[in-house]
Amino acid sequence: MGFSLYSLIEAALLCVNAVAILNEQRFLSKINVNDQNYPGAGAYGNDHQNAGGAKQQLLTLIRSVRTVMRVPLIAFNIITILFLILFG
Amino acid sequence: MHSADDPVHRSKNHFHPSTAQASNGYEGDYTVPHTRSAPSQNAFFSPQSAFYSSSSQQTIPTNQVASSMELLSNNPFLNVGIKAVGDSMKDITGKTVNMLPNEMKKSLSSIKDYFAVDQIYVMKKLSLLLFPFRPRNWSVGYSADGPVPPRVDTNAPDYYIPLMSVMTYVLVAGLVLGTQNRFTPEQLGMHASSALVWNIIEIGLLCLTFYILNIQSKLRTLDLIAYCGYKYVGMIAALSSYLATHSLFVYRCSLLYVSISLSYFLIKCLRLKILPDTSGSHTYNANGNARRVYLLLAIVLIQPLFIWYLTRHLIVT
Repeated sequence: MGFSLYSLIEAALLCVNAVAILNEQRFLSKINVNDQNYPGAGAYGNDHQNAGGAKQQLLTLIRSVRTVMRVPLIAFNIITILFLILFG
Repeated sequence: MHSADDPVHRSKNHFHPSTAQASNGYEGDYTVPHTRSAPSQNAFFSPQSAFYSSSSQQTIPTNQVASSMELLSNNPFLNVGIKAVGDSMKDITGKTVNMLPNEMKKSLSSIKDYFAVDQIYVMKKLSLLLFPFRPRNWSVGYSADGPVPPRVDTNAPDYYIPLMSVMTYVLVAGLVLGTQNRFTPEQLGMHASSALVWNIIEIGLLCLTFYILNIQSKLRTLDLIAYCGYKYVGMIAALSSYLATHSLFVYRCSLLYVSISLSYFLIKCLRLKILPDTSGSHTYNANGNARRVYLLLAIVLIQPLFIWYLTRHLIVT
């Protein structure tokens, strides 16, 4: 119940860290193999956006988060570690 | 607030009319700040003059008050200083707003539309939140550029009610804690930050779900924020019923009623926006329809859960 804004920031940072350190070979390629055999049957018009549905979207999201947040995450982590060392 | 002791306090209060005028250009035709600043100037003199009984003492303090305030308001250095600070703030905010992409600029300016409420709208909306069961038309009017201001259309979402009800919830939670002798001032801040954090989590998860399930709907993110803020009205109702009667049974009954009415209200409001338009030209596949229904149900069921979770620690059996 006693949530503060800082704990939200910490939780978000930990979640993004977790997404960033997923191993491509072991984990993501397994999900990819199951998915790409069905490249959205009947992909015309609006259904094309719905190709593969939730899994494709999730994979796209994970891939884009990893690409975008690799470098800023290093900075955020260093700042958070410094804060925790200095202010406990 | 109008303490009759210190000229410094009185002069600090006197600064508000000038800053209120600087911000009035931003708020447009929302006229309440005008009328609020005028009586405060008169109120300086009436308690002051009523406090001192004899007439001779009456003139001296008012003269001192008048002279000190004139000194501060006619002081050219202070005027120039205030104007310089105001201009530089406008400059900085103008530059940072111009750096944002175009879509965010449009949403920032359309946030102003969400605050364009009047008393009739607030009364209607509050009575609708607590008793939505009468048959009525729930559709929102359409406006090509941005959201419909709530003054025009009663069914449009607004930000005034959620904002005010969050603040009232924090105060009522403090009241409830006070009646149980558990109150400390840190609790107020803790409740406020808890409410903010849970709101952020809820809206973040809902936006993520919208994205992952690939649902394109007419519901904008700003509208979703408004709809997720309406549960605080129900929380206040349940908490005040507990405060009035101190009975667990009344609290649970009001919790049940508030959950049912909020769920009904949200289903009726969001049904037109999330579920597919049957007369539209798009033909959504069956998966998309089922997902939308599930998402609507999830949104509607999360709200009573939050109401229960955010009030249960205040209830002592």
